[in-house]
Amino acid sequence: MIQTAPITTIMRALADPTRRAVFEQIVNSDEITVVELTRASTVTQGAVSQHLKALKLAGLVTERPEGRKVYYRAEPEGLAPLVDWMSHYGTFWRERFADLRTLLKEIDP
Amino acid sequence: MTDTVLQPDTQEIVVDEVFPHAPETIWKTLTTAELMGRWLMMPAGFEPIEGKRFTYQTTPAGDWDGTIHCQVLEVKPNERLTYAWKGGHAGNTGYGSPLDTVVTFILSRAGNGTRLRLVHSGFVLPKNETAYRKMGEGWKKVVKNIGALAGGED
Repeated sequence: MIQTAPITTIMRALADPTRRAVFEQIVNSDEITVVELTRASTVTQGAVSQHLKALKLAGLVTERPEGRKVYYRAEPEGLAPLVDWMSHYGTFWRERFADLRTLLKEIDP
Repeated sequence: MTDTVLQPDTQEIVVDEVFPHAPETIWKTLTTAELMGRWLMMPAGFEPIEGKRFTYQTTPAGDWDGTIHCQVLEVKPNERLTYAWKGGHAGNTGYGSPLDTVVTFILSRAGNGTRLRLVHSGFVLPKNETAYRKMGEGWKKVVKNIGALAGGED
């Protein structure tokens, strides 16, 4: 189980449009190398590497070295903190609505 | 810079239900501190006046003391109430992580009752449906929860 990164790290990692584009590329392929990522990008390989580093730190991307190549794949679990927080509120509001219904029956029978 | 369709997406939670009560009655439950406390949470310093700041106290988590900081953004009596809803701390993941959102209540007549629609918006998620698909069960469960909220009537 990967340790999830703090939510701000995730948000910061995804705030940069170029980095987001790199992440999308990785998500849309099973595995991809820096060279392939650079080919699909408008920035240099050095810049792509920097973005990969930030994505790895945020827990959104994992790497698998094989020979002289490194393959990157998306780690969708990395998005979990964002999703958890939202899901907490989904449940919260639905329960509150049930309480509101009960209250209204009391004050306005 | 290629920046097409890669804007971050803000997701919202919607709960939409019809209550057999007049809009004026429901408005009271949204804007009277004592009544708010009986179904939502007891606010501190709430008044239905645009610009008014108030707080809710919830369960603390990590470095977050559990305070939700709100500010009234829009008041249209018996029709619409909007306030900012901010809280959390950068040190938390999941519950208690930072939140900079907006809560809107919209009231409209529905037959002899009132349709109350809650929209809690501003949850920032990357715009990437593929990522969600790949998140597998966890994400599907959330989507189902959120889906169930739309008109979810027990």
